[in-house]
Amino acid sequence: MIHTRHKPLEEILQMLSGATKVAVLGCGGCVAFYRTGGAAQVRELAEKLGEHLQVVSLGVSNRQCYLCREEELSGLRDAERIRKIARELEGFDRLEEVEAVLSLACGVGVQNLAGLLELPVYPAQNTLFMGRRRVEGDFDIELCVGCGDCVLGYTGGICPVTRCSKSLMNGPCGGVFNGLCEVSRATGEEIPCAWVEIYRRLKKLGRLEELRRIREPRSHAASGIPRRVKVQEGAG
Amino acid sequence: MKVYSRFMESLRSSRFTVSGEIDPPKDANPAEVVEQVEALREHVVAANVTDNPIGDVIMCTLATCVIMQQHGLEPIYQATCRDRNRIALQSDVIGAAALGIRNVLALTGDHPRMGKSRDAKPVFDLDSVLLTRTLSTLRSGRNLSGEELAHAPEFHIGVGLSPGVEPIEAEIIKLEKKIEAGAEFVQTQCIYDEKVLERLREETSHLDVPILPGIAPLRSLGMAKFMLANVPGISIPDEVMRRLESSRDLKETAIDIAAELVSAAKDYGFPGVHIMPVGMHMHVGEIIERSGVR
Ligand code: SF4
Ligand code: SF4
Repeated sequence: MIHTRHKPLEEILQMLSGATKVAVLGCGGCVAFYRTGGAAQVRELAEKLGEHLQVVSLGVSNRQCYLCREEELSGLRDAERIRKIARELEGFDRLEEVEAVLSLACGVGVQNLAGLLELPVYPAQNTLFMGRRRVEGDFDIELCVGCGDCVLGYTGGICPVTRCSKSLMNGPCGGVFNGLCEVSRATGEEIPCAWVEIYRRLKKLGRLEELRRIREPRSHAASGIPRRVKVQEGAG
Repeated sequence: MKVYSRFMESLRSSRFTVSGEIDPPKDANPAEVVEQVEALREHVVAANVTDNPIGDVIMCTLATCVIMQQHGLEPIYQATCRDRNRIALQSDVIGAAALGIRNVLALTGDHPRMGKSRDAKPVFDLDSVLLTRTLSTLRSGRNLSGEELAHAPEFHIGVGLSPGVEPIEAEIIKLEKKIEAGAEFVQTQCIYDEKVLERLREETSHLDVPILPGIAPLRSLGMAKFMLANVPGISIPDEVMRRLESSRDLKETAIDIAAELVSAAKDYGFPGVHIMPVGMHMHVGEIIERSGVR
């Protein structure tokens, strides 16, 4: 799941300055699941914005990252384009009238929508990370940064790239403190040391030999440039 | 195996080897390095140069090492993975070798969040095991891109060890990997507890590599409390705390405590110690003398 956090209202108003009629659009995916960008949050934000400008339309799309592909729209004139997109955006009927769209989706949803509309599309949220796994105190934790070269098979299903502050590959650094990562002392949070967790997990699984093996340096060639994948025919 | 440095020569001999540490200044004044060099030169075989601990900006390791050489003290160049990727690390140590630096210590490095440069990008392209192996690869006459080096850098490779951390098994496994990757000597984080020395001896008895326990004088009770709160895995016995508390002359007490640890290290069979003077450079000679190891 993707985690997000609302931008301050001042920043949103700053982005929208110049527009008088705006649409606010939530997303039915992760942000609805986590109640940061679903129907109730759209209404709340629209209400606050209503004091400053005209919110003409609001709704929650299915998932902004699912929205139709560019090729399905090609050849359509702007008005038709907008109508077709609007049909996919449930309850989002007056898109033709607005000057800007404010999206509560994650960065993927915002960019997907922005690529399909002629209108300016602005993010209402900061996208934080991909994560899940609830831990004590109702925290969800970051689990994957999409490194392109997954090592979970050697680390007991715990990602050192994401969950070790230094993305180390060969075991704990000397900074580990009572099972916590050294950065805990700087942030005041209790961040578990990923490598202590990996060690304990591998030991429990009887697979400590994975830890004894020197792991190669990660290849950043897999992630250091804008990436693309060929989508299978009929999929996506 | 060839010997490139006085430090390694001493480790291979039966002499008790003492390394020291130079703290580079945060400004461009070489005199601050020279002063420390002069205090240490007669007492240690070589001295480490730290690489911007906790990410606070100080004079670079290479420049400090060169100043040391000009004043007759052999440097141990500490390289960390915090600020440099594999390109910069290889380039730096090749340059260091060209300037005559013959000992390199490979460390992970602190996270930049720990210090005053908390917004800096953490690099950690390699880790300490992989940096160790990179140094071995370079020394064998190749770089990480597989190119041959007609004139391979000549240096000895050292690594760090945090003897007090839990779980110790994970730390020892990592040390074994560093040795497999080519580590030739080990210097540890500070130790204040003879029990830790004893445990270190036991945990590493199967390893054929010289281990120098790290010893840093405790200048005050405040420093001891700070270390307890901030140095991972450290333990300071109550008795040491009491001695600091009731001390009439802290400097003398600090020297005594450090000297006792040096002599304990020798008694436990370690081939030497690594003294981190933390400002007490002037008293390193005294610590060694009182320890009676020479
Ligand atoms: S190693 Fe970690 S960051 Fe990389 S793909 Fe696997 S889970 Fe994601
Ligand atoms: S303490 Fe653990 S999680 Fe933190 S940087 Fe070191 S190895 Fe990684």
